[in-house]
Amino acid sequence: MKPFRIIPFLLLENRRLVKTIHYRNPRYIGDPINAVRIFNEKEVDELALLDINAATAGINYEHIRKIVSEAFMPIAYGGGVQRLEDIRTLFQIGIEKVVIGTAAVESPELVSQASARFGSQSIVVSVDVKTDLWGNRRVFYANARRKLKEDAVAFAQRMVALGAGEIILNDVDREGSMKGMDLPLIRSMSQALAVPLVASGGAGSLGDLLDAWQSGGAHAVSAGSLFVYKGPLRAVLINYPQDSAVQAALSKRA
Amino acid sequence: MPSASFQRCRRCVMDTSDPEIVFDSDGVCNHCHFHDQIRSRYILPAGEREKALEQRIRRVKAEGRGKKYDCIIGLSGGVDSSYIALKVKELGLRPLAVHMDGGWNSELAVSNIENIVDRLGIDLFTNVVEWDEMRDLQLSFFRSGVPNCDIPQDHAIIAVLLKAANAFGVRTIVRGLNIATESVLPQAWGYSAIDLRHIKAIHKKYGQVKLKTFPTCSILELAYYYAFKKITYYDILNNLEYDKDKAKELITAELGWRDYGGKHHESLFTKFFQSYYLVKKFGFDKRLAHYSSLVLAGSMTRDQALVALEKPPYDDDRMHLELNFVANKMEIEVVELERIIASPPRRHTEFPSYKSLLFSDWATRIRKFLK
Ligand SMILES: [Zn+2]
Repeated sequence: MKPFRIIPFLLLENRRLVKTIHYRNPRYIGDPINAVRIFNEKEVDELALLDINAATAGINYEHIRKIVSEAFMPIAYGGGVQRLEDIRTLFQIGIEKVVIGTAAVESPELVSQASARFGSQSIVVSVDVKTDLWGNRRVFYANARRKLKEDAVAFAQRMVALGAGEIILNDVDREGSMKGMDLPLIRSMSQALAVPLVASGGAGSLGDLLDAWQSGGAHAVSAGSLFVYKGPLRAVLINYPQDSAVQAALSKRA
Repeated sequence: MPSASFQRCRRCVMDTSDPEIVFDSDGVCNHCHFHDQIRSRYILPAGEREKALEQRIRRVKAEGRGKKYDCIIGLSGGVDSSYIALKVKELGLRPLAVHMDGGWNSELAVSNIENIVDRLGIDLFTNVVEWDEMRDLQLSFFRSGVPNCDIPQDHAIIAVLLKAANAFGVRTIVRGLNIATESVLPQAWGYSAIDLRHIKAIHKKYGQVKLKTFPTCSILELAYYYAFKKITYYDILNNLEYDKDKAKELITAELGWRDYGGKHHESLFTKFFQSYYLVKKFGFDKRLAHYSSLVLAGSMTRDQALVALEKPPYDDDRMHLELNFVANKMEIEVVELERIIASPPRRHTEFPSYKSLLFSDWATRIRKFLK
């Protein structure tokens, strides 16, 4: 077993798997069903799915159901989650955890209601952090287009107080860059939270993931590009480190 | 099933399941004769072969001078392409590995590719075909009833390799075609994947999704790549010692390669298509051609081939699962796939193609006019 959770983060757009950079310019990377099958064989412990189109097009339950039925591992789903009813349906079709993004900012009572109804362990709030025009790192929402005045750590704490059982920290500035993760930010958040923190955005190597866990204090780390791209030409090739590779990398550091 | 007219070649193992097979008075088939003809042309005697290899490699290096890569290799994760990757590196070439992802990759295929590019330090370039388009085109071929339903994938590979060669300014595409393992290929069992007119005709009749990004290559583009950009293929395996079992051992040891248990089974589609679809619908068992090639190349005896052929081409229990898998993947009901398999076979010649264009009415008229 890996000492910490390593979660491939997959983006959906109209039933297609895509990969973005800073949440922009989605590039097609394949059929999600086939990708899930490959991740099954690679014995991935859990997956995160984010539908970047669901906020406008609605949640495609039928397609998600199909993906879930193919997956051997638990799946967290985010994208377009606005009502308690959405969350209930997602659990019914087999989703393990529901990620609330924009709705957590716009109607925070959804977080407390969902948590009370379904248990906090299955309710995740996503905190998207991006640098604003003035050079300050702020919480953004609505596909990283709108800005919140509140500090990221304070916002995450408020969400936990409302009942979020897990926080996923998305670094929009680094998303898709593969240039490494923002360890101070991860650290400040992991230290301030009493619930598991999933750090996401910027991982370009297994070492980056280990850093986020070891020095950032994240309980789990998530990556998109790292698990779907290979080499300098960003060839699409699904990959995932074996337990032995993680252990080997760890013992090298010790 | 051996019927009254059943006949098997006395030299290779091809039989009358190839409707166009012809036997000479000794009971030796046309494939054997064809093999002998091309073998003498492509397989050089020892000594000359090494010289030819050396010359060609020198030329490829010279043409690649000043460029990041001097050749393109297709990489599927199968034996041929993995072995080629190893060999071109040994020969000091700087290859760019190109992979066409048609949506059917197995985990074995992707992990083999990963190991190869990691261990050999090769850059990888991929083209992922939009699944909706690939699916629709493959379904079109299924629905048309023609035997070669691997044309969509094969055409996409050809197109992607050429486009990559063009984009990276590379002139040589090192290919895995070889006399040692694939000299026998009955015409009636398939049709060329290069024929874009044929593909479009079948898609137009049976397809539903517009092909917007599907990688294609028309005759004009081919002419441009070959004649103007001077892109050429190098079938390197013909200039190397190529024994599949030895190659497997080598790539397993050197590249951490894992076996699929079948020729070209790195694609789940090809596996289903070759070992089930062709057998069930047309009575074509590709193993006949494959083993025949091996027998003619001397890497398998005829008796070994006959013993191997006694095993069924597919495992009935597993095929039930695969039928479900393929139907599910192609987003059709299992009964529809079964209906497709049960529907009457059609010939490729029943659909338009570049070939038919050459013999079409107006072509004849023009030819007459020119006379
Ligand atoms: Zn023969």
